[in-house]
Amino acid sequence: MTERGLEQDAGGSALYVFAVCNAPDPAVFARLPGVAAGVPLRRLRFGELTAIVQTVRAADFTDEVLQIRMSDRDELERYARAHHDVVSAAAWSCPTVPLPLATLYHGEERARQALLEETGRFVAALRRTAGHSEWGVKVYAAESRVPEPSPEPPSGTQAVRSRPAPGAGLAYLERKRGVQAQRERRHEDALQLAETVDAAFQNLAAAGRRLRLHAPERGGKGHVQVLNATYLVADRRATEFEALARRLRDATGARIDMSGPWVPYSFVGEV
Amino acid sequence: MEREVVPWDNPEPLSGPIGVPLVDLLDRVLATGVVISGDLVIAIADVPLVRLSLHALLSSVNERVPAPWADGGPL
Repeated sequence: MTERGLEQDAGGSALYVFAVCNAPDPAVFARLPGVAAGVPLRRLRFGELTAIVQTVRAADFTDEVLQIRMSDRDELERYARAHHDVVSAAAWSCPTVPLPLATLYHGEERARQALLEETGRFVAALRRTAGHSEWGVKVYAAESRVPEPSPEPPSGTQAVRSRPAPGAGLAYLERKRGVQAQRERRHEDALQLAETVDAAFQNLAAAGRRLRLHAPERGGKGHVQVLNATYLVADRRATEFEALARRLRDATGARIDMSGPWVPYSFVGEV
Repeated sequence: MEREVVPWDNPEPLSGPIGVPLVDLLDRVLATGVVISGDLVIAIADVPLVRLSLHALLSSVNERVPAPWADGGPL
């Protein structure tokens, strides 16, 4: 889990590692704040590779402090974006392997030693992602024309206000059964849609991964996310990828949101 | 992925999508990348307490639920 040695060293500094690259141009991140205001980002050479690092206050990155910071939406957002900005800037100047949030070392020597031990993984990841970018694809089930059917008759109509008609109980049961059947059908359709879209993108991509589905937007337009996937795509095929998204939109009627190009965050970890 | 270095005056020099939704960003910066052991925090996603609060946070990100820490949260 966490090494408690830090607490004895709470007044000291730590080295935050953002990413590892071949030969980053320091100009691209010279003006970025990183995760510690007022401390410049710098390069840390280890073997044939270079890490982008920043000296931070160790006390700002204890479990307790991190938990508080990450429980605050604004703070989490600032932090995630600051990290992402550095990673993206590095990737702008050379092939880059991002590190996850909060990879920290007690000092430069410790960082260099730990990074050197992982050189093989960094080199493999750089080789795998060279000339590729990551593209996100989110698919939402087509909005059904009928609103979510309810076992109750539509409210506000006269039918509700009048007394139950003969056979109302049976009609109620049938409606309920219908609702259940419709729900199952929609569920199957959604799974099928996700499979179809994923298969089409996988076919074009060098690799693909499914990410956790996002919670539905409350008060939204009833769009339910059925696929949250991300793909590693050769840069020369990026336009094909976008064209495929358009074709799939037309063919399925589903909402398909693309994001990218991303630094290949999701494809540097598997060796 | 060799790219031309764009002068810093360019407001949008980064390779990541600009103004990307937080939830998409978190999908990528939290659980991915080359995870190596750090001295202070091994991996944020592996710290159970942090994961719990993140879980609560992530499931509310899209729901526009007022966060309990919205007023008087630490900053």
